Amino acid sequence: MTDKIQAKIIGASKPRIDGPQKLRGEAMYAADHHLPNMAYAYGVFSTVASGTIDHIDLSKAKQMPGVIDIFHHDHFPDLYRTPSSFAQENKVDETRLPFEDGKVYYPGQFVALVVADTFANARAAAYAVKVDYSADAEPIATLSQALERGGEPKTAKSSGHSRGNPDSAYESSTNRIDVTYVTPMETHNPMEMHASTASWENGDLVLYEASQGVIFARNVMAKVFGLAPERVEVRSPFIGSGFGSKLWIWPHAIAAAAASREVGRPVQLVVPRQQMFTTTGHRPPTQQQIRIGADDNGKLTALTHDSINTTSMVDTYVESTGSCTKSLYDCENLRVSHATIGANHGTPTSMRAPGAAPGLFALESAMDEMAEKLNMDPLEFRKANYTERDQSMDLPFSSIHLMEAFDKGAEKFGWAKRDHAVGSMRDGDEIIGWGMAACNWEALKMNCDARVSLRADGTAYASCATQDIGTGTYTIVAQAVSSITGIPLDKIEVELGDSSYPSGPVSGGSWATATTLPAIAEATRSAIEALKSYAIGDGGAFAGAKADDLSFDDGKLSDGDGKSVAYTDVLGQLKLANADGEAHTPGAPQGEYSFRSFGAHFVEVRWDPGISRLRVSRVVSAIDVGQIINEKTSANQVEGAIAMGIGMALFEATEYDERSGLPVNNNYAEYLVPVHADQPDSVDVILLDHPDYAFNEFGARGIGEIGVTGMAAAVANAVHHATGKRIRELPIRLEQLMSA
Amino acid sequence: MSETSTAAGGISACSITLQLNGQRREVEVYPWTTLLDLLREQLHLTGTKKGCDHGQCGACNVHVNGTVINSCLSLAVMHDGDEITTVEGLSENGELHPIQQAFLDEDAYQCGYCTAGQMMTATYVLNSSHIGDSDDAVREAMSGNICRCGAYKNILAAVQSTRGKV
Repeated sequence: MTDKIQAKIIGASKPRIDGPQKLRGEAMYAADHHLPNMAYAYGVFSTVASGTIDHIDLSKAKQMPGVIDIFHHDHFPDLYRTPSSFAQENKVDETRLPFEDGKVYYPGQFVALVVADTFANARAAAYAVKVDYSADAEPIATLSQALERGGEPKTAKSSGHSRGNPDSAYESSTNRIDVTYVTPMETHNPMEMHASTASWENGDLVLYEASQGVIFARNVMAKVFGLAPERVEVRSPFIGSGFGSKLWIWPHAIAAAAASREVGRPVQLVVPRQQMFTTTGHRPPTQQQIRIGADDNGKLTALTHDSINTTSMVDTYVESTGSCTKSLYDCENLRVSHATIGANHGTPTSMRAPGAAPGLFALESAMDEMAEKLNMDPLEFRKANYTERDQSMDLPFSSIHLMEAFDKGAEKFGWAKRDHAVGSMRDGDEIIGWGMAACNWEALKMNCDARVSLRADGTAYASCATQDIGTGTYTIVAQAVSSITGIPLDKIEVELGDSSYPSGPVSGGSWATATTLPAIAEATRSAIEALKSYAIGDGGAFAGAKADDLSFDDGKLSDGDGKSVAYTDVLGQLKLANADGEAHTPGAPQGEYSFRSFGAHFVEVRWDPGISRLRVSRVVSAIDVGQIINEKTSANQVEGAIAMGIGMALFEATEYDERSGLPVNNNYAEYLVPVHADQPDSVDVILLDHPDYAFNEFGARGIGEIGVTGMAAAVANAVHHATGKRIRELPIRLEQLMSA
Repeated sequence: MSETSTAAGGISACSITLQLNGQRREVEVYPWTTLLDLLREQLHLTGTKKGCDHGQCGACNVHVNGTVINSCLSLAVMHDGDEITTVEGLSENGELHPIQQAFLDEDAYQCGYCTAGQMMTATYVLNSSHIGDSDDAVREAMSGNICRCGAYKNILAAVQSTRGKV
């Protein structure tokens, strides 16, 4: 790519190319498909947390109108488990198949599935299925119950890290804090409920699935049904977001596909909102002990971060809260460790910035506590421990502009005007608190394939199996093609989210941009080479010329002698439809650099003690994620992550009844998420925009997760500044602030 | 597959007439069918989304006789003779409606799933003299529409930039 082209389109603020489809209601999500002769499935979900199914009484349900079949553990086809390998691209988090046996491991587990002719009939019959259980008297509903009587925690060896002598260095440190933070179970709650529309023809499965990863979904379904992957196609051109909950296949999709094959009709299954809290993953609750040692100059001398989270009784999921702790600050003596313990929950899964979001709440709160102990400005304390080297990998960061993020964020926010004394800043009835925290996320890049065509009608076409989950992937793929060809965005057609397209990454981990764009660029250049080969052949516009002497710019092929021909004419002259290019690009280069993104949040809260009202009134976030591809969609990602971070700080917790083990707020009204009225008066996102060319040719590191990291700590630190209350358990509740 | 294919326990479907997106439509509905399920499952107008089926998220919002409602909380049989507008009825002559154009320009969405509901509420808010025109008033009036992607800042900008155009 040339600098000139980049200046035009890479980094530009462009409206989404798929916008009109979404705005007209024409974008088709998984449950929008109505296939001929389609039946509807509705689940029966366990109403006990743990136990065994004694009897399922179908007598009433089977007589209900429109019922076609009712599946359960004694009436369900034998299927296979997936090996659940990330490397083989068939990973799931819940490996147990639906209806495998009569055991119940968590509330909300599928225990039966009604298939009927209409949605209303399927639901009515599902409500009429009667299930008798032998329920365990003492289910494990919470992390604290698990710690009391859940047996020995399991250490997660692979994600731990240790260097120096953290324990002895801590003991001999001049200034020490030893604090424990607790984060709750959070539920992703994408607006679109999980949905599967499955159909079979001649033994081949086509599945419209609300999926962040159609290739993984295809491979899992192939394993489960014992088919060659070519016989399964998974489509997810539009998805009502996922935040991690739609990365992997969950039991409902397998149930829907199996039911469709059994009844010989297409079947649609939507997971009700209530069960999206139980059987489609969640961010598990954590308890994290942090010990920090520092000298009197504010240099870290020791840091330990030991964490435990609940997992399900059937699978192990590690919430790697120490993933940022091990490299964010300069510290020779450091340990992070993770452990898990079983609870009667569905299997947890990645939720936006897994590990980092709860982990940085703990670390960045603790950094604030230590700054207070040292009587230092919390910003200066962080700067004093800045490092340009990832000590956990013993490699330099490929590109780090954290100091600039600190400075630009602080300047825009007005941090220099902070009076560090608690409760010292007031505005009328409100006490103002100012807090800050760093943000941090790993930059990842995977293998990717792509196809690009230059078409005789003046358009271009690009395809890749990766998805656009609302992040803007359709648009940045078109920008990448445009940056090389000069073809305007409105002439570029992009198709994504179908496992029959060239293999592309899951939309997760903030790696879709860095993974997909280099493949698109390579495929575009390959298409140009194909065009040149046609042009220099017999009857071509540059017959007899050498391919190397031709150049492609702004939609035209040119030689060095001033001859220039539009690519449409090159193709038209030969009666060719298009020139195609394909590409395969590798993962991130290994061994030379640590690739990570950085940033800083500055948050103002206002606490009105007279009416006990707390709100986030102002946020400034400076974000260092390498090259920005689309300023509009990038800023939107960070603003949305800030909103989710406010939710994590102030509202979100999935609650379980410790007696019954059942969830108590599993709906969209009682699980509080931020709404319009919760938004700050102002949110300013500063995108630093320093390309990281060591990572990939676009210099982009991805932007989906980083904005949520550190946000809850910045809010909690601001709350401490306003109220003097150090809240170490999320969410921050009014009763915690009102208590003496 | 139509919602009316199977009668339950001797209960028969009712015939109602709607003025739907400017067109007169006669439909047969069972008494338990919600307006949302009528739109999505019988008429295949899937631009209106189901996000919770409990009136908690706003994704299913439509206009009924000029007022915005949660279509999942309203039975279809109650709407005989009503004028109903869904997202599919917003644009005229193929042009984007001003609120759609503003959502495009301001990037007032990410995944697009709550967008129809946001726009239906927004056009109601903009045409309601009892709702103030300040940012706070708009945020309050639109708080029944959850956007889990958190595009709230841009949605507010889109609504305010459409003021006076609808």
